[in-house]
Amino acid sequence: MAVCIAVIAKENYPLYIRSTPMENELKFHYMVHTSLDVVDEKISAMGKALVDQRELYLGLLYPTEDYKVYGYVTNSKVKFVMVVDSSNTALRDNEIRSMFRKLHNSYTDVMCNPFYNPGDRIQSRVFDNMVTSMMIQVC
Amino acid sequence: MAQCVQSVQELIPDSFVPCVAALCSDEVERLTRLNHLSFAELLKPFSRLTSEVHMRDPNNQLHIIKNLKIAVSNIVTQPPQPGAIRKLLNDVVSGSQPSEGLVANVITAGDYDLNISDRSIKASVPWYSNWKDTLMELKESSLHTATTPWFESYRETFLQSMPASDHEFLNHYLACMLVASSSEAEPMEQFSRLSQEQHRIQHNNDYSYPKWFIPNTLKYYVLLHDVSAGDEQRAESIYEEMKQKYGTQGCYLLKINSRTSNRASDEQIPDPWSQYLQKNSIQNQESYEDGPCTITSNKNYDSNLLSLDGLDNEVKDALPNNFRTHPLQPDQPSESSNSIDGPDHVKSASSLHETKKANTGVIHGACLTLTDHDRIRQFIQEFTFRGLLPHIEKTIRQLNDQLISRKGLSRSLFSATKKWFSGSKVPEKSINELKNTSGLLYPPEAPELQIRKMADLCFLVQHYDLAYSCYHTAKKDFLNDQAMLYAAGALEMAAVSAFLQPGAPRPYPAHYMDTAIQTYRDICKNMVLAERCVLLSAEILKSQSKYSEAAALLIRLTSEDSDLRSALLLEQAAHCFINMKSPMVRKYAFHMILAGHRFSKAGQKKHALRCYCQAMQVYKGKGWSLAEDHINFTIGRQSYTLRQLDNAVSAFRHILINESKQSAAQQGAFLREYLYVYKNVSQLSPDGAFPQLPLPYINSSATRVFFGHDRRPADGEKQAATHVSLDQEYDSESSQQWRELEEQVVAVVNKGIIPSGFHPTQYCLNSYSDNSRFPLAVVEEPITVEVAFRNPLKVPLFLTDLSLLWKFQPKDVNGKDTEEVRELVTGEPEMIGAEVISEFLINSEESKVARLKLFPHHIGELHILGVVYNLGTIQGSMTVDGIGALPGCHTGKHSLSMSVRGRQDLEIQGPRLNNTKEEKTSITYGPDRRLDPIITEEMPLLEVFFIHFPTGLLCGEIRKAYVEFANVSKCPLTGLKVVSKRPEFFTFGGNTAVLTPLSPSASENCSAYKTVVTDSASVCTALVSSASSVGFGIGIGCQPEVIPVPLPDTVLLPGTSVQLPMWLRGPDEEGVHEINFLFYYESVKKQPKIQHRILRHTAVICTSRSLNVKATVCRSNSLEDEEGRGDNMLVFVDVENTNTSEAGVKEFHIVQVSSSSKHWKLQKSVDLSENKDAKLASREKGKFCFKAIRCNEREGVTQSSENYTFADIIFGNEQIISSASPCADFFYQSLSSELKKPRTQLSMHLEKHSVEDAMRLIRKCSEVDLNIVILWKAYVVEDSKQLILEGQHHVILHTIGKEAFSYPQKQDPPEMELLKFFRPENTSASLRPSAEQLSNLIKTSLHYPETFNHPFHQKSLCLVPVTLLLSNCSKADVDVIVDLRHKTTSPEALEIHGSFPWLGQTQYKLQLKSREIHSLQLKACFVHTGVYNLGTPRVFAKLSDQVTVFETSQQNSMPALIIITDV
Repeated sequence: MAVCIAVIAKENYPLYIRSTPMENELKFHYMVHTSLDVVDEKISAMGKALVDQRELYLGLLYPTEDYKVYGYVTNSKVKFVMVVDSSNTALRDNEIRSMFRKLHNSYTDVMCNPFYNPGDRIQSRVFDNMVTSMMIQVC
Repeated sequence: MAQCVQSVQELIPDSFVPCVAALCSDEVERLTRLNHLSFAELLKPFSRLTSEVHMRDPNNQLHIIKNLKIAVSNIVTQPPQPGAIRKLLNDVVSGSQPSEGLVANVITAGDYDLNISDRSIKASVPWYSNWKDTLMELKESSLHTATTPWFESYRETFLQSMPASDHEFLNHYLACMLVASSSEAEPMEQFSRLSQEQHRIQHNNDYSYPKWFIPNTLKYYVLLHDVSAGDEQRAESIYEEMKQKYGTQGCYLLKINSRTSNRASDEQIPDPWSQYLQKNSIQNQESYEDGPCTITSNKNYDSNLLSLDGLDNEVKDALPNNFRTHPLQPDQPSESSNSIDGPDHVKSASSLHETKKANTGVIHGACLTLTDHDRIRQFIQEFTFRGLLPHIEKTIRQLNDQLISRKGLSRSLFSATKKWFSGSKVPEKSINELKNTSGLLYPPEAPELQIRKMADLCFLVQHYDLAYSCYHTAKKDFLNDQAMLYAAGALEMAAVSAFLQPGAPRPYPAHYMDTAIQTYRDICKNMVLAERCVLLSAEILKSQSKYSEAAALLIRLTSEDSDLRSALLLEQAAHCFINMKSPMVRKYAFHMILAGHRFSKAGQKKHALRCYCQAMQVYKGKGWSLAEDHINFTIGRQSYTLRQLDNAVSAFRHILINESKQSAAQQGAFLREYLYVYKNVSQLSPDGAFPQLPLPYINSSATRVFFGHDRRPADGEKQAATHVSLDQEYDSESSQQWRELEEQVVAVVNKGIIPSGFHPTQYCLNSYSDNSRFPLAVVEEPITVEVAFRNPLKVPLFLTDLSLLWKFQPKDVNGKDTEEVRELVTGEPEMIGAEVISEFLINSEESKVARLKLFPHHIGELHILGVVYNLGTIQGSMTVDGIGALPGCHTGKHSLSMSVRGRQDLEIQGPRLNNTKEEKTSITYGPDRRLDPIITEEMPLLEVFFIHFPTGLLCGEIRKAYVEFANVSKCPLTGLKVVSKRPEFFTFGGNTAVLTPLSPSASENCSAYKTVVTDSASVCTALVSSASSVGFGIGIGCQPEVIPVPLPDTVLLPGTSVQLPMWLRGPDEEGVHEINFLFYYESVKKQPKIQHRILRHTAVICTSRSLNVKATVCRSNSLEDEEGRGDNMLVFVDVENTNTSEAGVKEFHIVQVSSSSKHWKLQKSVDLSENKDAKLASREKGKFCFKAIRCNEREGVTQSSENYTFADIIFGNEQIISSASPCADFFYQSLSSELKKPRTQLSMHLEKHSVEDAMRLIRKCSEVDLNIVILWKAYVVEDSKQLILEGQHHVILHTIGKEAFSYPQKQDPPEMELLKFFRPENTSASLRPSAEQLSNLIKTSLHYPETFNHPFHQKSLCLVPVTLLLSNCSKADVDVIVDLRHKTTSPEALEIHGSFPWLGQTQYKLQLKSREIHSLQLKACFVHTGVYNLGTPRVFAKLSDQVTVFETSQQNSMPALIIITDV
């Protein structure tokens, strides 16, 4: 489904980043990192208009030739970035949205772990499994 | 897009200027070459008009042209070759670099400086938000915006080198200058020849290339006159002739070379050519088609550029890995063949080659004075005013007229036919389109092009309004005709002129540009034109702050065909991102990386490096480790190819140092690359100091230092003392114990005071030990340093020739500093020998320690600085596992792929200080000197071996072992002492006798005891001997733990060894015991620095249960024994076999029971059963009863109070002499350890001395000091052999009637004492002796006949005489009251049948002297037969001289029964 899923801290360093193993990992790192600019832009644009509505889903950040990059930002400014294969037309906005919601729930669980130190890299196995399930679901 | 020096409004007009050709005679070339210039070049600096120019447009309106510039160039006949252009652009870009300091600035710090091109911004906090603010500041202050001069010069050169094309006329020649010299023979003929030549070039079909604007080109005749050489008159006359022939408007006399080329000229003439000519020298190789020249900022080329390029090639060859080849390299030969194109400028080109070679030394325009400069300027002015502009004006007007006349019918006609054709014939359109793509649709003089020509002319003279409307019209026409190339050209220029219109009446039509670009690129496949379009459009958009559009435009043009262009455009796009209102830093970084990639593909290594470095600033330290590693790696490689080796090394170092998430193969590649680069660095400076290596990590604080030899392993039966070694873990508890032991022995040596300068000896220094002082090492004894390495990588590291790096300051033998302190570094084997570990493998992600040794051969101060080694990897990661498993087998076999020699320093931070206030408030660290030992003079060195040392013992078992002391140094040692917390565990024997065999082999089967065979006759009676405790070393000092070792001569000479017997007694508690021995010794010669040395040994003994002995003593009632002596006691000894291991220990035999006391001795065994062999199997108990008597008082008086009397009662036929070693030794030791226990101490109040005295006396009565020693033999089966083990238990009896045990009783945990809130009352209560104690003062016994026959029928009253013996047990006088008629209150006494009266005196008051026995004759009176208890008398006693103490009832004697029978 997704080819790369990343969780980025408020300060824009990666908390978690995972991509499908057969692909070039470096490429996705660059892609996710660059997409943060768009996230910032969207947040600052949204900041004025949509304070009350609290729409966390940012939508399509930018399309490249092979991939589509979607973004999502929590209230604590933690960003989720998902890279999806462009050829996968089955994925609509709604599916992406629900995937992000699932990711958010799982992330919340991680944060609820009293042994997790906020700001550390996420090493939860549950979270990992969830991401894996999201990455292999369809493809 | 980066900021440019020029604004767009200047840039575009300067990019499109009227072009003028120059055709010169040979003579003219000769004249100008005196100045090292061609004619066109001569004019170049003056080609911009200084004043405004006026012109009339077709509507006769006055139009003002500002800053008009013309471009004069020599005629060339060949279009520029694409390869040549590419090469030229490449050179331009690589020639233009930011200042050298920037490129070298690879950022290594954690806090980074963001360098955007030539500016640096300090961002103190590495988080983006702060950083963004800084960037915003940067953007707002226009002064701090970045420039990219390489891009500008690229753009300029690109626009200039555009080949003239047919669809546009902007760079077509408008006019031609025909230049002849006055010095020529026939100048007028020369002019006509030149004119014909020009005509031929323009109109002959041989020459297709130089494009001409209109057929009748303006010809302008210039006569060049050399003032210094030629005849001025002649020139004037020729000029007159010319004026007549060509008109005053069409000719000019230019005078130059007013002075001879004289270097010695004192006049300093400015050289306006210098800023153009470097570039020209490159350009001239290919083309003289010079476009407009703009003023550019930074053209000071470095002369070393070429040499750098040369280096590149070398580097490329040197690199072993698959480095890409230079993308332009295969083209180079063809380019060089292209460089000479036409016959016309061969000469000039070659001449310029010369100038280029001469390069910097050449001064241009050496023959020209300032007047000449003015003349040239004047000439240009004149040419433009009189020649060019009127010509343009005329042409515009002509074109305008043509258009107006043509407009009506032609337009409608064309459109009608078009409509008609397109409607009917579909296929023709496709043919049409085909044609369009091929490029040529209209002939050069086609009427459709006239409007375009007019537009171009208007554009050139800056009449943008008119130009726009013309372009707009032309665009419509071309689009109608489906002439896409033409249409795109018109669209492009329409957009530009719309932008340039003064007052900007309409918005910039960006969509025109987009369409144009798309057409150029997709339909016409003409990337050059598309690129020009993009450059212009991006610049315009940028000027309107539409950065994101500009970026999109730039990115869209990046393609595969040109790396250089893509790189430059990507870089500009990156700059656009960062210049946006909210800067997109990450996009900037990403595009910088892309640009850097393309730059490196284009062979622009410096630019590539710069791009990566700039991107690095964004990625650095943000946790994007994969990207960071990639950038670092690229930076490393690029730096390496640019020979910036230090940068390369530091970049590679970053990859390796960071906790890398790369795969093992990747890490291996990184490492190999790093090693390779490092090797190159070190080869460049072979004599320099070793470089610091980053791998493997060294945990400096875990470094341990050990002084002394390695422990010799156990040698046969000899077991060496454990001492200290690096293998032992640090244990704070045990180190504290050792420290206490050492303090004890030092205190004993120094008469009970610990010297103020005392510090415990430390042989092993680690992070827990006290490292604040310089440690002391002894010369000729090795120093071992344990270094903790850790390999963070997933590939194994292979270190070779690993050794320590040190510095040494020798001292002379007297220990004083020599005058000059020499510092020696590694490699002085006569001072310090260093051990080298030849191979040391650290597997992936492994922590490993290396032990390195130094052998000091000289005294002085040593400083261990670090380690030096060759770092390498193992070739082929496949074999890693095998090597890891068998490190020994493979050593020497794995071929080192590569290794570099380097060092790493050991820097240990001391502990944080926290003592004073300043230290608490600030963070300061103490020194750590563990690596700075002072080498001192020779000291003796002791080695201790234990022979037959057991590991397991029964509790109380006595075993004999031997200790060997060996002095392995060259100094005699003395003062050997041993100290232990458990002195009762062992003894070296008293100095009474050394009768046991001295060698261990001889004593194989001997008993540990000294025995004497006795005859069985003497059984049951004690054999008495006596010994003084002084002989056993007891009571000498207050430290029984410190035991001097009885060396034969008290000195152990160098190289000698001595064996001493040593008896061990198993501790009384069951379990595993760790017993620490500390051997202390001194040198015979006093050393100032080291007073003593120590050796440690830890013995581990496992004890198992054997016997439990419990003893009580009670006073015998019988006053007189056989010998008639008064004082005697009964001793009951309970022995229990508690050993549970039935397999091992079969049975215990009690072979002897001895007593030891100052006052008492065992006399005989009261053995009722006559059971001779007192043996106890498992879980059996036995009870012995002995009679003890007081020793002879006389003996006690004559001998010292420390004298003990030993009495042995033997159950076998061998007497163990209990007063000799080792039995007595252990007895005394147990005694002394008993004494150590806290006793109820008498409080010494002096004023109550008398009371005290009494107390003591009273207490004495109930005290005994009898000590029982039970000696036993255990029969043990071990490995189907029967062994006899021997042992002894001690019971110390203090108080009559109290049970005493051989083993310490488990104490109940003391209950929590109630907290008292008042002062405890004075201790008088405790002074009062207890009733029980007082009741022991007097011993009583009744003597009477057991049965008494009395004829009651004869005499009804029976009188029985009874003797009451009163014996004073104390040593004081006692007042005694005997009350016979005392009413007993105890109920059992009442129950006894019948009572009887005493007759006669019934109450006595007596005084008994010390130990006096008094007898009272009493009479009892009975009236019936029966059994009576005579024990009714009550005895009260008190010390006679004490008034405070009340009389106390004395212990009731036994019931004394008498039977009265009737006869």
